[in-house]
Formats: sequence, C-alpha cells, structure tokens
Amino acid sequence: MESNKRYAIVLDASKCIDCKACTVACKMENGVELGQESYRIWVSMKVKGAFPNVSIEFEPSQCQHCENTPCQSVCPTQATYKTPEGVVLVDYDKCILCKACMTACPYDARFPSHHHHAIEKCTLCYHRLAEGREPACVETCPPKVRVFGDLNDPNSEVSKLLAKKRFTQLKPDRNTRPRLFYIIG
Amino acid sequence: MSHSEHAAPKNGLANLITYNKDIPAYPYIIIGLILLGIGAIGALLALIKGHAEVYNVSREVPWGLLIGTYAYFVITSTGLAFIGGLAHAFGYEKYAKVSKRIVVMAVAILLAGFTQIGLELGNPLRMVWMFITPNLRAPIFWMGIFYSIELVILFVEIYLVFMPNKSNHKLSAIVGFFALLVGTVATSNLGYVFGSLNARPFFHGIYFSTFLVISGITAGAAMLIIVHNIVFKGRVPSELNDTIHSLAKLMGMGIGIMIFLYFWKIMSSLYTEPQGSYEAVMAMLAGPLALNFWIGEVLLAVIIPLLIIVTNSKNPAMLKFAGISFMIGLFFTRYDFIVAGQMPVMREALPGSGVIANAAGLATYSPSIVEWMVFALGWGVFLTLYFAAEKFLDLNTTEHH
Repeated sequence: MESNKRYAIVLDASKCIDCKACTVACKMENGVELGQESYRIWVSMKVKGAFPNVSIEFEPSQCQHCENTPCQSVCPTQATYKTPEGVVLVDYDKCILCKACMTACPYDARFPSHHHHAIEKCTLCYHRLAEGREPACVETCPPKVRVFGDLNDPNSEVSKLLAKKRFTQLKPDRNTRPRLFYIIG
Repeated sequence: MSHSEHAAPKNGLANLITYNKDIPAYPYIIIGLILLGIGAIGALLALIKGHAEVYNVSREVPWGLLIGTYAYFVITSTGLAFIGGLAHAFGYEKYAKVSKRIVVMAVAILLAGFTQIGLELGNPLRMVWMFITPNLRAPIFWMGIFYSIELVILFVEIYLVFMPNKSNHKLSAIVGFFALLVGTVATSNLGYVFGSLNARPFFHGIYFSTFLVISGITAGAAMLIIVHNIVFKGRVPSELNDTIHSLAKLMGMGIGIMIFLYFWKIMSSLYTEPQGSYEAVMAMLAGPLALNFWIGEVLLAVIIPLLIIVTNSKNPAMLKFAGISFMIGLFFTRYDFIVAGQMPVMREALPGSGVIANAAGLATYSPSIVEWMVFALGWGVFLTLYFAAEKFLDLNTTEHH
C-alpha cells in the first residue's frame, strides 16, 4: 500500500548540547529497558583537533529508516517491514531472534529486547504519528536539533531545510539511502 | 571385512538391527552421552534463564560460537553428501564402498548442527512464520529450506542403502545426485548468509560461498578417514585401502584449494587497507584471534594434515592424525570467520555512542560456559547417534547401488 507521505528527520547536530533529553525521552516513551546495550538512540561525542586547538562535536543518531533496507532484506519471516510512509518497524511476534538484521545494519541500530523477546529499534514513535504528534526525541529536544516531517510535502520544514541547506547522510557508501539527513555547516 | 555377529539383514526394519562386537563404539557412545548430559544442562539454562543471561554474544557481536559450530557441523554434513554423491551419481566406486557410513554420518552431523542453530535462535518456534510470511529475499529463509530438504534426501538415501533390494541403481544415482546438489547449494547459500552482508566488508562477496563448500568436502573426507580408523582399530582392511588413499587425496586437494582461497582473501583484505576487511584480517593475523589463526587454522588445519598426506598418503593409520588435526583446526577456521567479520564495529566507540570495543577499537567476544555446554550438546548428538549406528547397524557396504 503506497502512501503520499515520506517521513524523514533532518538533524542540525551543531545545535546539540548533549543534554541527553532525547535518549531519556525515547526510553520513557517506548518503555526501553535499562541496560548498557539497550538503547534506540544515542549521542556520540567527537573530539576534534589537539590541545590547545581542541573542540567537541556531538552526533545524535538512531535507525536511519533506510529506503534500501538491509535489515528488512535479510529477515526470513518478514518480521522487519516498512510502513507505507517508509518507517522501518519490527513485528515482535514474528521475530525468531536470528539476529541477521543486527549483522546487516551498518548503523548498529538494533538490539535484542528482553521485554519483547524480539529485536527492537527506533520506530520514529510511529504510534504517535497518527495522533499528529512528533517522535519523542524531536518533541523533547530543547535546541531543536531534529526536525521531523514529510519529504513529499514541499511546504514541510524538512523539505525546506533540505532545499536550503547542504546536508549529508551516514555511510553513503553502503547505498542504504537513509531517511535521516545531517545539515552541514 | 564385516564386523557383524549376524548375517547380513534380510527383510524388514527389525532385521537391520545387529550387534557389532568388534567395533569399539562404546567409549564414544559413553563420551557422547556425557556430552549430551552436559549439553542438556546448558540447553535448560539457556531456555530457563534466557539467552541474554547465559550467552556472551552482544550488540556488537550478535553471532558467536554457536553459529560457528552450526556451520562446522552442517557444512561437514554436506561435504559428506557431496562425497556420497560422487559415489552414487558419478560412479566413484572407491567412495561407494563406504556409502552407508557416508550417509549415516551425514545425517548424524546434520542433526548435531540443528541443535546448535535451534539453541542459537531466540525464538525457534516462531520459525513457523517462515512458511506463513516467508521473505524469499532472505538468505536465512533459503538456508532453512535447503538444509531441511537435504535432511529429507539423506533419509531417503539411508532407506536406499539399507534396503538395497527395494531400490535400484538408477534411483540411488538420482537421490545421490540431489544430495550432492542440494548440499552444495545449501552450503554455498550459507556462505551467502554472510556474503550478502553489505554492512560487513569481511563477509561481503563470493568468498565464503566458495570456501565453505570446499572446506566442507575436505572435512567430509577427513571424518571418513578418522571413523574408519576407529571402527577398524587402526587396521583398515586392505580392500578399503584405495578408498582411504583416495579420500586422503581429496582431502589434500581440498586443503590446497583452501590455501589458494585463503591467500587471495587475505591479500585482498590487506592491500591498501580496505576498511572493515583489513581490521578483520589483522585481528586474525596479529590481533585477538592470532593464536586461533596461526595454531588452529594454519598449523592444525593446513600444515600438519598436508605434511602427513604428502608423506603418508597410503598409510591409513597415519592419515587418521591428518584427519584429526584438520577437524580440530577447522573448528578454529569456522569460529574465526564468524567472529572476525563482526569485530570491526559499525560505529566508532566514542563516548556516548554506546558501542563497546577494546583499545584497538574492535568489538570483543569470548564464548560463555553455557555456550560451550551447548557446543558439547552438538558433539554429544553426533557421537551418540553415529557410534550407536556403528554398534547396532551394519554400516559395511557389501554391494553398491
């Protein structure tokens, strides 16, 4: 079933203050269990340069909701599937926990959930979208690092940002065509 | 040649049961039962406590020892089926002389492999969804299909080799051919389970689809040499000397092709340091897997067996050591390739990233006690099933169909 929507997130990582509100909001909203390896989103800190010319940058990230979706391709039961809007989801009841999707994901965005007894990942808070609400990580971010919207709507903020700004995507050499765009400069 | 107390079976399943007093199978059956007991405890722990509690696999290295031993067993089984196919379908009489052992061992090892994947999957019962909503693009779907078909074909082969009066040469040839074909497809597809992973440069490509098939046939030959030495207590009957000699040549040729494939895989992974492949190969050559690689993969699986084969190709008793050395070394080959391909992390282990890696930036993994117990379960299944068959069935092939 085709949809006239194509959801995406545009990130301006230069605004990130590493407050971790997004990671906490994600855990709270989605009931993600505690544990060193149980997380759907993360904020990496990169140190640039050498003393005394040193600075830090932050890179918030999560499942890239790839258009060319390796995790979906390798899933033997179609537990991993895409919604008509291009959001990559997991049907927990079908997951055999073979972990092929974990090995296929170039972004290390998946992990086994004890709670669901299945593989878990970012859903773009799909359950909120029908109510017209944004993903929790987008809604909670104080400096508005993430902007969520519909790429098919030329008047959406994501479309305007991508039209105006230069952007990059993670691991373009893997040819996954992510739906997460990082603004440059 | 026959060790059987009774005459050859006549008709019916009951008549197949015999008692081979001269075959020293009991020590192996007892070891097998002990390993089964250890493995059963491991399996219970995994099922009761949950995989995450008792297995050491992680977000960075989701496939560990059990995938390695699964590959070890099932690829050896298809290698045996390949040799059996050469006998039945392509007229290699030397292998036809041991066709019962080939097919019984192939089944026992395949079942041993299934225990490993069964306990590796977190939700094996949900595999029913593979039939309700199959993903035809997924290599793992085809892996399940091909190995299941292979098991069915092997059971048909068992029927044919044990009920020779109900079969005919043409039917045996057809079934033997399909055992060879489906086994080869299954194993090359298992290589594709890894080779299809665009995210993991060390795995990606044709290499494993080729290497696994060749090393599987080599392993099949090695296992046949070992068990014939065990069954005949190191004194293989003269009528089987040419079979063992031929198996040794097959093994030597297999190791030769493995060296060829190894060499180019390593060279292409080192030259200009391609990201992902380079780190994986360096982990084997000079990193955390170096002992496994140099002692297991190179010394035990390549140098020692090749030296023995070259110097003692007509001495079955010595060839036994080549077989044993190869099969021990091959375990490291399987383990290393699974682990090495996952060691280069998908994201740099930066603060806040959540990625866990060592000082060199590589993911780490070592199997847990329970994973080793499940590994023991696989060996327990194989040893118990196979040597019980040796003790209570007549596995000597008296006529070729």
